[in-house]
Amino acid sequence: MRRWTQSKTVDIKQSFLNRRQLLQAGLLLGVTGAGAIGLSQLWRSRGRSTTVTIPPLPQEEMHHGAGISPLKVLREFDYGTVTQENGRTVREFRVEAQTGELQLNKSTKFITWNLNGRVPGPTFRATAGDRIRVIFYNKAGHSHSLHFHGTHPAAMDGVKPVRNGNVFIYEFDAEPYGVHLYHCHVAPVTRHIGKGLYGMFIIDPPQPRPPADEMVLIMAGYDTNGDNKNELYAFNGMPHAYMHQPIPIQQNQLIRLYVLNMIEFDPVATFHLHANLFRVNPTGRLLEPSYEADVITMGTAERHILEFSFKETGKFMFHPHQDGIAEAGCMGYFDVISGLPS
Amino acid sequence: MKFLKFLGLWVASCGLAILVACNNQAPSTSTTQSPPVASSAPTEQAAHAGHGKKININAAILSELDKLEAKLGVPALSNKIQASRPYGKVEELVSKDVITQAQFDQIKDMVTIEDIQLTGEAKDVDYMLKLGLMKGHMMVAKELLDLGKPEQAEPHIGHPVEEIYADVEDQLNERNVKAFKNELIALQDRVKAGAKDANKTAEEYKASIQSIDGAISVLPDTQRKDHDFVLQVINGLLDTANSEYTAAIADGKVKEAIEYQDSRGFVMYANDLYKGIADQIEKEYPASHKVIVATMADLLKVWPTPIPPQKPVKTPEEVGTLIKQIETETKKAS
Repeated sequence: MRRWTQSKTVDIKQSFLNRRQLLQAGLLLGVTGAGAIGLSQLWRSRGRSTTVTIPPLPQEEMHHGAGISPLKVLREFDYGTVTQENGRTVREFRVEAQTGELQLNKSTKFITWNLNGRVPGPTFRATAGDRIRVIFYNKAGHSHSLHFHGTHPAAMDGVKPVRNGNVFIYEFDAEPYGVHLYHCHVAPVTRHIGKGLYGMFIIDPPQPRPPADEMVLIMAGYDTNGDNKNELYAFNGMPHAYMHQPIPIQQNQLIRLYVLNMIEFDPVATFHLHANLFRVNPTGRLLEPSYEADVITMGTAERHILEFSFKETGKFMFHPHQDGIAEAGCMGYFDVISGLPS
Repeated sequence: MKFLKFLGLWVASCGLAILVACNNQAPSTSTTQSPPVASSAPTEQAAHAGHGKKININAAILSELDKLEAKLGVPALSNKIQASRPYGKVEELVSKDVITQAQFDQIKDMVTIEDIQLTGEAKDVDYMLKLGLMKGHMMVAKELLDLGKPEQAEPHIGHPVEEIYADVEDQLNERNVKAFKNELIALQDRVKAGAKDANKTAEEYKASIQSIDGAISVLPDTQRKDHDFVLQVINGLLDTANSEYTAAIADGKVKEAIEYQDSRGFVMYANDLYKGIADQIEKEYPASHKVIVATMADLLKVWPTPIPPQKPVKTPEEVGTLIKQIETETKKAS
């Protein structure tokens, strides 16, 4: 059974009831890959809905630069090319370090160092115990590397620079489950990360977490004039993106955020959600969240899983409560859509 | 269970919402296909096992890849192999349409993707190129120090130790070169602190340069004066300069002085190296020599001063074309 305190248990039950009531009223419509859901999984879900409702994304999205799409970054998980080798699951990821231009706002163009043309880089996702193989090709001029958080042998630690035009293949076991990250570890790391060479690395526990609308939110800063301070900030690479285009979510839907603070130069930033409390799963190292808060403090490279659902509809902000950082681009809205799909 | 009763309802229902099944299997996002041959992929530390004298198709320089080209008799195969990098498995030579399965069968024992211990000329070119990149950084750093811009010189003093030293450290040990990381760091610290004492800065700069030159001098003289060898190093320097220059320019402006200056240093050092073999090339390949000298002169004009000009002299594409031209000529001359 869940290890909630009494009051939290009540909260959770209420939210289950809400969803069940909705189901019984036939309001939660959708298609589901029923064949893929075994009965046992339904049983295991113990009353939790096994379907997840994600309101459709807006058709039109602003174009910011080569391949940068904050709404796509949000829910896009790269599971790699899966093969079986010697009886194990191997996930192969291919990334190319490149340089490219990014229009951060109308008056600021920024030259990124990126992976596969994106800032942040792809969100790699695997299950604990999988073999990870990352084929890293550096075509970005400077020497770069990929240093993964999580465990691995010293030879795979990614602090050794990979020269321009060279390939390095990182290979290790995906351990332990949780939310991790990767980034270039060539000095000055502030510049290599600040230019865009970072991304999230999610390792799922062997037993999948309960279904939810899952999203990645990575906070980062941009030093646009080389003064070792950030002039602009962003969630998922693009300042103010989710202010201009709020993230649609479904009322009463369990939301699971994978949040990472990748801001250089400022030692710490918080994550704050309006009009709600989230349940914190620190570094994603637990199978269930452990406590509630509406502000969580993260040093650079710290990351957590945050879970919540909104009972109320409407627009609710999220942002670091270092308000200068928020106002310089690191803020956004969830747009909670009512139970009836519109 | 009431819960199950509604399963049918869900299946029948159809809404606008996107629904995600709860299992964790996701479609693969890469377009790479599995190799046609049974894989014997290593299960640990793929990149660090030593494997004789195989050719690493991810890393080998052109002269090494030429062995495959010669074996199969396919013209320009070396370039094609280089252009289709990276390879996750050697079998991708087939799945990426670089060669046919029949051709692959002929060379499969010669190739690897594992990080092999370089030997012979390939090893020396690799070593020299890394030291050459250090030299380029140091040359542009000196110019900036002389202009009284230590804050701009600092990243270029830093790059040799931050980006290159760790990559060449093993080779330095092996060749009995005295470690010089501390000299590089001492200079970087001084420049970071503002390079206030000009004499001490000059002294430490000299010590760093002497260390790099000392490391270069362990290569046999015959090697360092061999035009074939030097041209490979020049191409490596110019290729890196090309990438750096691209990373300096946005919106028709030089946005990043650091990358502009990096590329300037690499081209200057490439030009210095060419001077050392120019006579040989002129004698043996006069036509190529003429083109290389003219193109190099054009290329050098792209970096008129250590401090970038307001408007770039040439676009990254134009610079790429010039560099390609030099590469083509160097192949004729080797």
